[in-house]
Amino acid sequence: MSGPVALHTPTTPVAGAALASDPVLRVNDIQAHFRTQHFGVSREVRAVDGVTFDVRRNEIYGLAGESSSGKTTLIKTIAGAIKPPLQVVGGSVQFSFMPGYPGLHAAPAAEVERVRWRHLSYVMQGSMNVLNPMRRVISTFQDFAWRHLGGSRKQFEERVVAHLARVRLDPAVLRAYPHELSGGMRQRVTIALATICKPDFIIADEPTTALDVIVQKDVLGMIRSIQQEMGSSVLFVTHDMGVHAHLTDRLGIMYGGRLVEEAPTPEIFSRPLHPYTVYLIGSLPRIGDDTPRKSLEGSPPNLADPPTGCRFHPRCPLAMEVCARQVPPMVESLPGHRVACHAVNPGAAA
Amino acid sequence: MLAILRDLLKYNLEFRIGIILVGIVVGLAILSGFSPYPPGDVYVVPPDVPPSSAYWFGTTSRGQDVFWQVCVAIRNTLLFGITVAAISRVLSLVIGLLSGYKGGWIDRALMGVNDTFIVIPLFPILVLFYFVMRDSMTWLMLAMIMATLGWAYDARLIRAVAMSLKTREFSQTAVFSGMTTREILTREHLPYVMPIVFSTTMNNMNWSIGLEVTLSVLGFTDINTPTIGGMIYWANQHTAIVAGVWWWIAFPIAVVIMAFVGLFLLAVSMNEYIDPRSRLSRMGGGAR
Amino acid sequence: MSEPLLRLDHVSKTFARGGFFSRRRIEAVKDLSFTIAADKAEIFTIIGESGSGKSTTARMILGIERPTGGSLQFDGLDVGALNGHADRMRFMHAVQPIFQNPFEAFNPLKQLDRYLFLTARRFGAARDQAEAERLADEALRKVGLSLAEAKGRFPHELSGGQLQRVAIARALLSNPKLIVADEPVSMVDASLRMAIVNLFKALRDELGISIIYITHDLATAYSISDRIIIMQKGEVVEAGDARAVLAAPQHPYSRQLREAVLTPDSPRALAS
Repeated sequence: MSGPVALHTPTTPVAGAALASDPVLRVNDIQAHFRTQHFGVSREVRAVDGVTFDVRRNEIYGLAGESSSGKTTLIKTIAGAIKPPLQVVGGSVQFSFMPGYPGLHAAPAAEVERVRWRHLSYVMQGSMNVLNPMRRVISTFQDFAWRHLGGSRKQFEERVVAHLARVRLDPAVLRAYPHELSGGMRQRVTIALATICKPDFIIADEPTTALDVIVQKDVLGMIRSIQQEMGSSVLFVTHDMGVHAHLTDRLGIMYGGRLVEEAPTPEIFSRPLHPYTVYLIGSLPRIGDDTPRKSLEGSPPNLADPPTGCRFHPRCPLAMEVCARQVPPMVESLPGHRVACHAVNPGAAA
Repeated sequence: MLAILRDLLKYNLEFRIGIILVGIVVGLAILSGFSPYPPGDVYVVPPDVPPSSAYWFGTTSRGQDVFWQVCVAIRNTLLFGITVAAISRVLSLVIGLLSGYKGGWIDRALMGVNDTFIVIPLFPILVLFYFVMRDSMTWLMLAMIMATLGWAYDARLIRAVAMSLKTREFSQTAVFSGMTTREILTREHLPYVMPIVFSTTMNNMNWSIGLEVTLSVLGFTDINTPTIGGMIYWANQHTAIVAGVWWWIAFPIAVVIMAFVGLFLLAVSMNEYIDPRSRLSRMGGGAR
Repeated sequence: MSEPLLRLDHVSKTFARGGFFSRRRIEAVKDLSFTIAADKAEIFTIIGESGSGKSTTARMILGIERPTGGSLQFDGLDVGALNGHADRMRFMHAVQPIFQNPFEAFNPLKQLDRYLFLTARRFGAARDQAEAERLADEALRKVGLSLAEAKGRFPHELSGGQLQRVAIARALLSNPKLIVADEPVSMVDASLRMAIVNLFKALRDELGISIIYITHDLATAYSISDRIIIMQKGEVVEAGDARAVLAAPQHPYSRQLREAVLTPDSPRALAS
């Protein structure tokens, strides 16, 4: 898997200007497929099929998608959690702090060890994945962060306490076991853990989905304020469009293993271009709004046998003959607003 | 069913080796029907003949052909293991599923019995039975006793799975579709505990065969019915190893080890096949 | 006033947790009372977060849990003391559930249609298989599917939205008077969610089925409910007409909930 960086020329006409501002993460035409073989039945699920985007310094980039959109697989790929049957088939994931490697999955263990927590950290949905249920919270901090921050035990603890104050946690939680904390407190601990080394990049995968709405709003506010204080970049993944609207700077919409639209978040909501995005936003109910909501017809695509051409065309009200034939390229239709749709970008296909 | 066997044969090495080993053992057991001598008779052939073309596995100091003795012994030993496994599986399935699904006082009562059986020291009990029953202790009797002693631990395993199945929403869907408790247990939950039943069947056979061999070697069983343990008992009585009649002990042990390993490999490979998760991913539902 | 369809009278539920020495009592539901009328179908919504007791309430109404205090009457049956097969069958004939996770609502190893046929034969009017198939098809058409789409299929072959429709069709096959739906859309894709929610409206208006809709999502609750109650830690903090309550909540907790709802047009207070 390793070897020299495969510097593809982008197959899609990505605008040079918008991306020039020093990306921390550059995902280039990444393809990750599940390949299984069970007693002679072999299957290939093309969960991520050619995704290209950048995350700039000091921004929260949102990734939205529903079931079988491939967003979970994309996050696994970016985080380097590639285990069979998942395989990276093509493309690269480049971090600015890890030059020379086409992704964490292709980097040697020592290099991954070097960047983890110091440059790259994670906040996941289940905080129990990070917090060891058998150890006090302080031990987990020591395990992950001490060797990056250095200093004596006392100095280190003082730093942790100061950092916990940022997420409004009492120092007493350090002496607690994870099960003694509420869900919201645990998630704040994992946020503190992910940010204490001032990493360049944070991957947040549905970090608030399991939380109650009141706690969620609180935690989101904390993620935003810590991000601004540290100047980190965040890749924030959730299916909840309300959360995206509230938090992210730019937003990418995934459908069927591909990115179909990307723009500054307010613009996605005020001026969605891709028919899928239009539906996604239009179907959200709002309190005080009595206009009837329409749901999308049909089912999400089966990625083991995806539709030809544009993967949305079987459900699309604007589908044309070309949609079933040709994959629509991602085109910058408006400044900073990329869309992959034949109806929006007529004649864009080569 | 045939398609499953074909798939397993084609793609699973453990299964192939297991089938070959068990096949050989079962083949020997079937051959026992063609034995030229009644298995209980002694001095039908010249004693202490080493393995040769006339007597493939040699002969014993009691004038028996080791080959035919092994055939009869492994048949009895296998039948014993199968009987114990079958009876104790039924017990552990019924008790485990019912206890886990029903909960409440039924669960407490059944598990009270269960835990009693778990803590009973097996070996002294079996020896005690032997001394009490003596001549009426046939191998069928021993199999019944071991079956009633051998279900408890597996019933607990099955109960644990049944308890988690009960909390899954599809169990409630089944209830609200009008299924009776019996239908829910046999149609909805049984497929999920089958892997446990399969692997514990093989384990249970290995356990009961091992215990039977131990008891026989010590002479605590009906030694007139030839079993693998019984053969070793007689070989020891005649100090076969010291006398250099190694084949009297080596062949029965080799065959019983083949049975052990073969059953184990079958359990492992079938488990992988029958496991709901691997079944799902074969049906195309795994990667979601 | 005639006898109501469902009457909860000071219902409470206490769980005992822990071992012999540290037995803690958790009051999941405290003194809950409401009624659902027999003559007019409505969508009655219970809103709450985790630990509010809303799911315990649903399970008590479905007869899965027994209340530890108060009484729960459905159409003359004491739900808290259902005994015997015949009583249970009569109860399940009239009250049917919809669960949260559509992928868990059907046994993943079994074909979907068997649940439909079973319900049709045990509770519905079907006397033979052909009739069961006809009724199943009829029920599936009410939810926008057809038997051809579900027959012989396994749960993983359908999407979450489709599965939840099948679950509703199954519930309809017993011609229930009440459907208890516990978080029925929280695991369904947002773009398919409103279709399911609108379906509940259609069941109320066209089939006259009352629905108890249990959710933490204020937006879908607003769009379909007639009456709501908001629960916090086992207690009702606010109750009333859905639109009035959600448009202008009075209780501090309800207000907090209302303000925490994130929608595309809520202020981007957090943005830079």
